[in-house]
Amino acid sequence: MTRKREIRFIIIRSLVAICIALLVATLLIFISAGGDTFHEKLEATGEALRQMLIGPLFRMSKKKGTSFELKRLADILAAMIPTIFTGLSVCIMFSANQFNLGAEGGIMLGAFVSAMVAIYVPMPAGLHAVVAVLIGGAVVAILMLLPALLKTKLSVSEMVCSLMLNYIIMYVIKFLMNTYLADKSRGQIMSYPFRETSAIAPIVNNTTFSGAKLTWGFVVAIVAVILCGLFMYRSRWGYAIRMIGINQAFAGYSGMKVGSVIVLSQVLGGFLAGAGGGVEMLGRYTSFSWSALPGYGWTGITIAILASNNPYMVPLAAFFMAYLSKGCDLMATYAKVPAQLIDIIQGVIFLFFAAEQFLAKYRQKLVVKSAEEEIARLNLNKEG
Amino acid sequence: MLNFLKMLATPEFFYSIIRISAPILFATLAAVVVEKAGFANIGLEGLMMFAALSGSLVSYYAGSWFWGFLAALATGVIMSLVMGFFAFKLKTDIILVGIAVNMMGSGGTLFLCKVITNLTEGKAMASTTGLITRSLCIPDITIPLLNQIPFLGRVLSGHNLLTYLAFLFCLLTSLMLYKTPLGLNIRAVGENPDAAASVGVSVMKIRYTAMAFSGLMSGFGGAFMSMAYAQGWSLDMVSGRGFIALAAQAMGGGECLGGMLSALVFGFAQALGIKFSAIGLDSNLASPIPYAVTILGLVIFALVRSSRIRKQHSAAALAKGKAKAES
Amino acid sequence: MPDEKTSGPGEYVVQMKQITKIYANGAAANRGVDFNLRRGEIHALMGENGAGKSTLMKMLFGLEQPTSGEIFVNGEKLVLSSPSVAIAHGIGMVHQHFMLVPSLSVAENMVLGMVPHKSGIFIDKAKAVELTRAYSEKFNLHVDPEAKVMDIPVGMKQKVEILKALVRGARILIMDEPTAVLTTQETAELFVELKNLKKQGYTIVFISHKLNEIMEITDRLTIMRKGKSMGVYNTKDVTKEEISRLMVGRDVVLSLQKDKAVPGDTVLRVRHLEYINEWNKKMLNDISFDVRRGEILGIAGVEGNGQKELVDMLFNFNTPNAGSASVNGKSILGLPQQKIRELGVALVPEDRMLYGIASGASIEENVISDRSGEKRFNKGPLFNMKAIHAEADRLIKEYTVLCKSRSQQVGMLSGGNIQKVVVAREFSNHPILILADQPTRGIDVGATEFIRKKLVELSRSGIAVLLVSADLNEVMELSDSLIVMHNGSIAAYFEDTAGLTDEIMGEYMLGLKKQSAEEVRRVCHDQET
Repeated sequence: MTRKREIRFIIIRSLVAICIALLVATLLIFISAGGDTFHEKLEATGEALRQMLIGPLFRMSKKKGTSFELKRLADILAAMIPTIFTGLSVCIMFSANQFNLGAEGGIMLGAFVSAMVAIYVPMPAGLHAVVAVLIGGAVVAILMLLPALLKTKLSVSEMVCSLMLNYIIMYVIKFLMNTYLADKSRGQIMSYPFRETSAIAPIVNNTTFSGAKLTWGFVVAIVAVILCGLFMYRSRWGYAIRMIGINQAFAGYSGMKVGSVIVLSQVLGGFLAGAGGGVEMLGRYTSFSWSALPGYGWTGITIAILASNNPYMVPLAAFFMAYLSKGCDLMATYAKVPAQLIDIIQGVIFLFFAAEQFLAKYRQKLVVKSAEEEIARLNLNKEG
Repeated sequence: MLNFLKMLATPEFFYSIIRISAPILFATLAAVVVEKAGFANIGLEGLMMFAALSGSLVSYYAGSWFWGFLAALATGVIMSLVMGFFAFKLKTDIILVGIAVNMMGSGGTLFLCKVITNLTEGKAMASTTGLITRSLCIPDITIPLLNQIPFLGRVLSGHNLLTYLAFLFCLLTSLMLYKTPLGLNIRAVGENPDAAASVGVSVMKIRYTAMAFSGLMSGFGGAFMSMAYAQGWSLDMVSGRGFIALAAQAMGGGECLGGMLSALVFGFAQALGIKFSAIGLDSNLASPIPYAVTILGLVIFALVRSSRIRKQHSAAALAKGKAKAES
Repeated sequence: MPDEKTSGPGEYVVQMKQITKIYANGAAANRGVDFNLRRGEIHALMGENGAGKSTLMKMLFGLEQPTSGEIFVNGEKLVLSSPSVAIAHGIGMVHQHFMLVPSLSVAENMVLGMVPHKSGIFIDKAKAVELTRAYSEKFNLHVDPEAKVMDIPVGMKQKVEILKALVRGARILIMDEPTAVLTTQETAELFVELKNLKKQGYTIVFISHKLNEIMEITDRLTIMRKGKSMGVYNTKDVTKEEISRLMVGRDVVLSLQKDKAVPGDTVLRVRHLEYINEWNKKMLNDISFDVRRGEILGIAGVEGNGQKELVDMLFNFNTPNAGSASVNGKSILGLPQQKIRELGVALVPEDRMLYGIASGASIEENVISDRSGEKRFNKGPLFNMKAIHAEADRLIKEYTVLCKSRSQQVGMLSGGNIQKVVVAREFSNHPILILADQPTRGIDVGATEFIRKKLVELSRSGIAVLLVSADLNEVMELSDSLIVMHNGSIAAYFEDTAGLTDEIMGEYMLGLKKQSAEEVRRVCHDQET
């Protein structure tokens, strides 16, 4: 099949999957929308959909009409920061065919560790945040040695192991917070405030964005995307990770160190998740108060699937998810449709993106068409 | 220390182990059967969440736990068949199908709960605990005569109907796998699908059946969570039991009985955690115990397995040596 | 059991007329083959690998459908659309790879798909065991009905397979290389059983290329070569030599221009290699040989005589029970593949889709898999993409890989081009020893010729080449000297391939002749161990 057709197929397939998900969403919105008559419900559904699909970027008011709002864009970009990191983390682990689902716990642990460094270790401004984030990443990277080594040495399922780690991380952090680290002077369980030296600065003055928290963390995330892209497509280790994911027997026969590379992929995945937690924590908050897993790890999995494990596609997928998520939030505010609709949309899109045979017949048609053209071209060449 | 042990040696403690193990046991049986059929269903967690929600809602609307219970089972089965469709028909990696169901099982159930309660109650509720009364839960059963026995009576009698069913199903599933034609086909398809197909067994039909069975068991497990373990559904109430079951399946050597023992180990770990918090230990330190035990259990199981393989290897090498000497 | 009402003795129970089978990829496996079976005979179907005998039998068992031609069973023209149709007409097949479920008992395997019930729900185990026992006794095929299949020896597994076919009413049994996995004693036992079945009026197709066995047990034989039938013979009327000549031989003798080899020092040195497989069958028996710089040593032989196992040992896909192998004096047994490659060993693997390529990756990614860590392709932490592109382009050009670009997926290429990608990688990283295992199997003529020329060229430049091939043409034309493997041992060594005829080769390949130990030992050029 020609490259152009291949790309066209991918785009059409993605759009169809998204449309199916939105159709399901519309149906659910219709059921849940307020209104007594069919007409009222329809109107409410339309309003909810408008909020969901346009609201993330445009302010809609009856008097002034629809207008683009920079703050909303900045909000979405800011919301992408943690999920870009978890998306990259999952990309790398899934590329090596390692179903490590520890990004969820990893980002919480990374955030926690970075927060601790931000509170208890005095350091000069500028350096502080960098060190805190790196330590956060490093701790999670080390923790991921556990599922990775258990997998390579004892063939223990990295999936079950990493899932269990998620719960353990959450409870241990909650325990430490409750028992030792909480600032008793506050009404709820949260840590002492971070040292000011540790804050990740906003890109431009927050007032420009009327309070949106778009920090340099976003730039760091984009840099991470580029580094991961280079790593996966331009370095021998990333290359080995991909080859192992495609055909492990081939990688071994070619002389690659399969076991070490599998460990590397999970350690690196852990580092990214942990560092992402640090960037998010120091950029958005002034003290640590997470008491549950944040869900970014699961979104990261969806993002990796949407990006088909290509780091360069992660920002696009993360933007899409952040946009939808924001849309669902707005919808919940204005149209009384619960914001958790996002989880259902996410699940449906995920399923159709991952379904190998989805639209396979259409693809087959394109392949046949290409082959026929190829033959015709060859025949023409022969004659000519 | 002695005091603490004394606290453990009570019938209540053993009673709680059995009670806590029940939902894990249901999910473990689901994992055992699909594994026998040659694949893995990691969506048990999500299936249980959906079943738990539908069970509690329907029992409220119908005013009877029985209908809720049936709804939970139906939810599990239908959703697992949809999973099967994606996995077998659309060739989606079955692990990814499981992940998707788990994702929906978390926020998606909350969405449905809010939407449905909003439609019927006029306000969106984040859990169904306010709707479910004791009489809408699946009843506990006191077993006559057994409850007369000192100690043992208090351990074994008075459990929820589903707790008894869990252990009964452990037996029935084992019988199904080893004594019925269906079980024979499931095991054959799991081990050598070509061999099964070559004698006219429909591999697809068996895979869907195994999938539906795992949905049914998840239905039981979900119903137990929202209609017996707790009164009503709340967010993330299954809290990893579907995942622990995957580990229990592995640790139990893929068999029902072994799975049951593993489930009891996890039940013990959790009951112990609850006891710890009862004597003043932070519950957040006690809660991760079952998860840590799971990892530990997997490691021990893997070590035992690898040493067994090593033994087999050396036995084989010995046999090879002998054969060489003879030839 | 179906009763016999049609044809009397001597008549044909199966007639396959003018069968042609062309696969979707254009390969013609059978061309106008006639094949028939008389009731109550044991009929050998003979031929080298790829001669088309398996395809023919698959069509008789309903696993494949002929492109053209007719099949009659008991005089009735049939369309055998699936195995169940074939089974319904009394045809059973015992596959070379057993269709058994290891953890189930023998009786359970027997009744799978037709399980006897008890009180509507449960398996009637007693009945299954009884049935197994009854058939086992009736046909004198002794099996333990209650043992698990994984615990029983291979010979018994085969009996279970035969019983499985019989219990489903088979009157015609197709046996695909039944003795390939059996020990000598088990083979002897099998023959007694087959003769017994024959006495009871069963018809047996015996696929094999072991001459002694065929002479011993069969009544008639059909020989196939290159998809065509070479004729039907009464076993007692032909000699082994005639069979060998009909079976082994070349249609066209290619003549490849090559200079005389000037062998140098020994590169690969193998001594007393022994391997006993998991079923306790000795697959390699005291294998010793040397491969020298600048020569191609060929290993000929019918497939399944230990060649695959030998290559597996040399590239550490498996470990031998005894013996040694070294490259330039360094032992290679048990070394990680990476280390083996570092010593300058390259392997063109027999299974190219499993080991040879990552089909979802690009051509470029496939040709650098063994050298991605080398300095010349890296600049600091990153790849030197320029160097990699240049390398890929150079190899694509040098090895004439027909493709759109270096970034095309390897899986989208034709078989010949895929193999060119494999050899481009394996031949180009300055190897001192190339192990080429079936390097041209199943690929087009152009690619085949190219790869063969390349092998000769490389050997003349001073590389040691070990060529394993079941293709007689290839192994005789390319090799400077040649080993014939039979039954896990070296049956013959020819220092010079000139003057070798197909007949001589056939006799050694099929085990009619065997050189003395002294003659074989000449292949060890370094005599001092």
